Amino acid sequence: MPKRTDLRKILIIGSGPIIIGQACEFDYSGTQACKALRDEGYSVVLINSNPATIMTDPEISDRTYVEPLTKEYVEQIIIVEKPDALLPTVGGQTGLNLAVELAEAGILEKHGVQLIGASLDAIKIAEDRLLFKDACRRIGLDVPRSAVVRSIADAMQAADELGYPVVIRPSFTLGGTGGGIAYNREEFAESVSAALDSSPIHETLIEEAVIGWKEFELEVMRDHRDNFVVICSIENVDPMGVHTGDSITVAPVQTLTDREYQRMRDAAAAVIREVGVETGGSNIQFAVNPANGRMVVIEMNPRVSRSSALSSKATGFPIAKIAAKLAVGMTLDEIPNDITKKTPCCFEPSIDYVVVKIPKWQFEKFPGADSTLGTQMKSVGEVMAIGRTFKEALQKGIRSLEPHAPWRAPAEVSAALLREKLASPRPERIHWIFAALRHGMAVADICGLTKMDPWFISQMEEIITLEQQLAGITLETCAPGLLREAKRNGFSDEQLALLWKTTADALRLRRAALDLIPVFKRVDTCAAEFESYTPYLYSTYEQEDEADTTTNEKIIILGSGPNRIGQGVEFDYCCCHAAFSLREDGFETVMINCNPETVSTDYDTSDRLYFEPLTLEDVLAVVQREKPRGVIVQFGGQTPLNLALDLKRNGVPIIGTAPEMIDLAEDRKRFGKLLEELGIPQPANGTAFTPDEAVRVAQGIGLPVLVRPSYVLGGRAMVIAFDLETVRDHAGRAALIDTSKPVLIDRFLEDATEVDVDALADGEDCVIAGIMEHIEEAGIHSGDSSCVLPPVSLKPEVLARIRDYTRRLAKALHVVGLMNVQYAIQRDIVYVLEVNPRASRTVPYVSKATGVPVAKVAARLMTGRKLKDMAMPLIERDGVFEIAAGPFFAVKSPVFPFNKFRGVDTILGPEMRSTGEVMGVASTFGLAFAKAQLAAGQRLSRSGTVFISVNDHDKRSVVPLARAFADLDFKIVATRGTVAVLHSAGIPAEAVFKANEGRPNIVDAIKTARIDLVINTPLGRESHYDEKAIRRAAIRYNIPCITTLAAAFAASQGIRALQDRACIVAALQDLHATVRAPFPAVAADPGSRQSSSSGASSGVASRQAGPGKAALS
Amino acid sequence: MIVREFSAVASNWRSGESAQLYLAQHGVPVIWDIDTRALVRHLRQCGALRGVVSTDGTDAEKLIAEARALPTMAGLDLASSVTCQQRYPWHEGGISLESGAGTAARVPGVPGGASPRFRVVAYDFGIKRNILRLLVDKGCEVTVVPASTSAEDVLALKPDGVFLSNGPGDPEPVTYAVENIRKLLGRVPIFGICLGHQLCGLALGGRTFKLKFGHHGSNHPVKNLLTGQVEITSHNHGFAVDPDSLPASDVEVTHLNLNDHTNEGLRHRTLPLFSVQYHPESSPGPHDSRYLFDEFIKMMATYAKAHA
Repeated sequence: MPKRTDLRKILIIGSGPIIIGQACEFDYSGTQACKALRDEGYSVVLINSNPATIMTDPEISDRTYVEPLTKEYVEQIIIVEKPDALLPTVGGQTGLNLAVELAEAGILEKHGVQLIGASLDAIKIAEDRLLFKDACRRIGLDVPRSAVVRSIADAMQAADELGYPVVIRPSFTLGGTGGGIAYNREEFAESVSAALDSSPIHETLIEEAVIGWKEFELEVMRDHRDNFVVICSIENVDPMGVHTGDSITVAPVQTLTDREYQRMRDAAAAVIREVGVETGGSNIQFAVNPANGRMVVIEMNPRVSRSSALSSKATGFPIAKIAAKLAVGMTLDEIPNDITKKTPCCFEPSIDYVVVKIPKWQFEKFPGADSTLGTQMKSVGEVMAIGRTFKEALQKGIRSLEPHAPWRAPAEVSAALLREKLASPRPERIHWIFAALRHGMAVADICGLTKMDPWFISQMEEIITLEQQLAGITLETCAPGLLREAKRNGFSDEQLALLWKTTADALRLRRAALDLIPVFKRVDTCAAEFESYTPYLYSTYEQEDEADTTTNEKIIILGSGPNRIGQGVEFDYCCCHAAFSLREDGFETVMINCNPETVSTDYDTSDRLYFEPLTLEDVLAVVQREKPRGVIVQFGGQTPLNLALDLKRNGVPIIGTAPEMIDLAEDRKRFGKLLEELGIPQPANGTAFTPDEAVRVAQGIGLPVLVRPSYVLGGRAMVIAFDLETVRDHAGRAALIDTSKPVLIDRFLEDATEVDVDALADGEDCVIAGIMEHIEEAGIHSGDSSCVLPPVSLKPEVLARIRDYTRRLAKALHVVGLMNVQYAIQRDIVYVLEVNPRASRTVPYVSKATGVPVAKVAARLMTGRKLKDMAMPLIERDGVFEIAAGPFFAVKSPVFPFNKFRGVDTILGPEMRSTGEVMGVASTFGLAFAKAQLAAGQRLSRSGTVFISVNDHDKRSVVPLARAFADLDFKIVATRGTVAVLHSAGIPAEAVFKANEGRPNIVDAIKTARIDLVINTPLGRESHYDEKAIRRAAIRYNIPCITTLAAAFAASQGIRALQDRACIVAALQDLHATVRAPFPAVAADPGSRQSSSSGASSGVASRQAGPGKAALS
Repeated sequence: MIVREFSAVASNWRSGESAQLYLAQHGVPVIWDIDTRALVRHLRQCGALRGVVSTDGTDAEKLIAEARALPTMAGLDLASSVTCQQRYPWHEGGISLESGAGTAARVPGVPGGASPRFRVVAYDFGIKRNILRLLVDKGCEVTVVPASTSAEDVLALKPDGVFLSNGPGDPEPVTYAVENIRKLLGRVPIFGICLGHQLCGLALGGRTFKLKFGHHGSNHPVKNLLTGQVEITSHNHGFAVDPDSLPASDVEVTHLNLNDHTNEGLRHRTLPLFSVQYHPESSPGPHDSRYLFDEFIKMMATYAKAHA
């Protein structure tokens, strides 16, 4: 069926900021959908609040709106753009929920927008547990037995009938609140009354627990013609009871016979038809009782999902892309398969390898969080590995996780400890299974404790049997055949080196001598039945190599591995941009990465894709096969940087800033010396290897101090210490991460403003890409801070100094590519906190805010091109060139995962804990700030009560601030000192106790919902603790908490804008055009930016003088 | 059986023994730990090849010579060597997962068994049991007959329908079967699968040809040209019917392979005969094409009604 011609313009809703359970897989699927629809000639309008995505690149869609994902904003965009249809199925749960909201509110109908891909009815049946169960029963499928009850007596009877354990799911509570599992009558009696109470309609579902059953997923697609195909089958190694996102999974299914698999396939086909998902991809989950094969349907996602991204990468079949084409009426049989070119998409991929996915958790970031895995997802990222056998794929997967070093259980473990570690699902359970096997625990016992299928445990036992065989010999005595056997089973050089007390280098040399090197095989959707035209490769130890390399000039880009807090989609964005720009420049681009969620691991993104772990061994193997002109390490975050020196040592041509310079910038002592030579101030600092040494250094510097380990991203294990005991504790903790690297101790600059600068340099010239002023107080990790571009409160002389320092630092470090500098400004003195001569987290945000694809430019510089040859709108300021920004403000705000980790301290500090970010753009700082807050899920109230507490430095500004809020008809609550100041200025205010002054205090007021906005600018140790208590309460109750004056004034303006009901939207394409042309009608907003704050005006004046293509000399 | 890795572990609620034991009992050799993907690519490039399996250390050159001396598939009537020697009745129905590994007998009078409505004679050219099971499930009383059974002997059994089974080798030399089909055509409803389909093609005046490396696997898209729907199907054949060789006035092409556009099914425009190249009984494989068994039942019912 040809595509629909009655549709011209299609709206796509993205998934917003990265959160746990919804990560960059939706950038991958969204990007594919946008591109696919445009390829078919449709005009695509995109809304997504997350700037750190490829999908929000202005080239990907016709109209790109980085705006809050709310009904109001989407409606405004619908009014402006008049789309014909909305595709709700590629933006994760966020996109789907918002589409449902729009449909139910009648907004789609009102503006004549059709839902395509999935109808409202289908979405509702798939998403509603009871409707879904009914649908399954109608077609004769089994589901977990259940009963809906409204009284304790009925509940007890239902549970007895179902048999324990049972699951309790209260009706209409969010995120499973009030639910749980009861293993016996006593537990059930305790839980069920609470469950009934938590339900607004005093009702709960009592469901048969299928915990420990085998868990499977099928990724299926259907078109208008009712053609149905299964793209991928996935088996969870962790059985039912652990969220699939937290499970180790394997594709294809390993432990079902054809008959059992086909029964599941038939059921999946029946489900998608009954639910009524007419076109697109769906994910359907099943549980199978290992004792008797009883199969039940668990749930369905009527949209592309994390599993569909995984399936796409596992098979080479681009589910989201095809789903988008099906949504506009095409059929599977008329869409060609990209990989084989000759066969259609209407087939079921067959795979002649095994794929293993392993989640990445970061509980170390959330002390106090329960690391037991259950029905709510807690991992932040994942790796995928491809091998010819399960054993090989599993071992490759494990080393793809970081740290790469082989995991070893403590030498002495008791049987009791092993049993406990196996019985309770936690992140390291896979390692404990290996440990148990090493200790000789029987496979059957391990299966009994873990409920994992014996086949998986037997496979792991085979690995350990081989390991024990290897342990008895040495590198010298190992026969070539056995070494080959080890490599074929996925043992890394590092693992073998550990067994044989030698080095990975020695292993590599030995292998080279034996010509025992990996071959590369293709992922081709068809198990080699047809020729493949896309070099999507993985390594293995086999006979035949299919890399089929070319003699073209190649650049290899090292990706960033699994998503982590501090190393997320931003770095993938940079890697993709390197691939895009260098391909444009005629290079053959080669990507190496192991993260299945990303755009970088789309076979479309680069010319050649190696789905491989980012370890020295694996990267060197690719480099040796490809023989590139250069390798880019500075775009993938810390993961490739950690390899840089070793790669160089092995003769790999690293392009861009020299690894030695990157290393120098990380080396406190050498870097401090460089700053001294340059005459650039930095906070007093020192390094220490032991806790005692750390205390001595801290005493020398003076408290408070920042304590952190070197060589980490995201402020891992970083803390602000106001006393020496804290210094000692944390120096010990930091040293634990890596004893070979020193702990860094810096003077903490209180009451300072932090500034992030991204710059481009080519070894000669330097261009400042963006100066971002943090809105939060100093001391909060830059990744956790809101910031604004351009800066709003920095004095001209401060800006001049920042520009000068940046230029000189770039030169001194011989930066070629990107550089990020963090400054702190305290009493007009500009200090350098940190320099990172590499891509930073803010690069995509700066690119979206300025319209200049900074990472693309940087990649070109690394190949030897010069800044003076780049077409960019530049202006010269203080003798330094800078990318011209348009006359608007872009505010970036973080999003936190605290709701997933109950009981965790929500206080922000120097250790990064946000998972994602959003951007708000507007012609005033205030509105941009309000939009960013809204997009991040923190609604600035239009009215209500504001709590104001400012430090002594800020006291002089408290009156205008309070007046601004009084003018907005806000009621003001303040601490006694502040109230006195306000009263004398004639501003009414109510006094409240500080957190440590008595009860009821400000924290109580927040908890009793009396406060709508908190403004608190802390200073010193005492207020720091006060701030902690306030912040903790504010986050719990989702109340915006503002910690700087700049942000407070911005909030007042934002609230003003909200009171005016301003819902102004602007497409990035229009915003970027303003850099070169006068600002369009979008700016019709009276509060222009001159009024925002002092200090900004100079920047505005020069910017409005008209940025042109200034020439670099 | 040639595999990259052979797992000795059996883990399934229906498992009675390990695969190793099962294969040993049936005398099936297993070759493992080789680069199977390289083998597939080799076959893709060179086409289907003859081969020799040796475990006794015989010199490779000698084995290659031996393989080369083997006859090619083209021109070989293999059906006659795999067919049953005598006719026999078949009563077993499909395998039920719920009742474990056993098979459910659908004998008339046995509780749970459907009472047979149609008498089907199934030519055995190398018949797959799942075809027979599905026929039983659909209410057929099945008699399996040797490949060379004459049309007259078949008709003497007073069948409501005749089934032409799958089987190995080149259809062309199986001339006796082609002759019998010609005699049966129009006198009894006919349904053919795989070799049975190729024999129908020949009987209707068409030609067959050898494919380079054949169709194998359980993921082939086949489009039903009558409905426009695509089925994912199981294949295992090295020959195909040339659709252009069929007399268009009598024969309608019904199914098309979307991968290589070869013929996958046909039917007679006026007489009760249809056949498919692939395996709708799909064991292993997806169940998308099971409707063809219903079509056969429908065809028999219609024919019976018209000739009652």
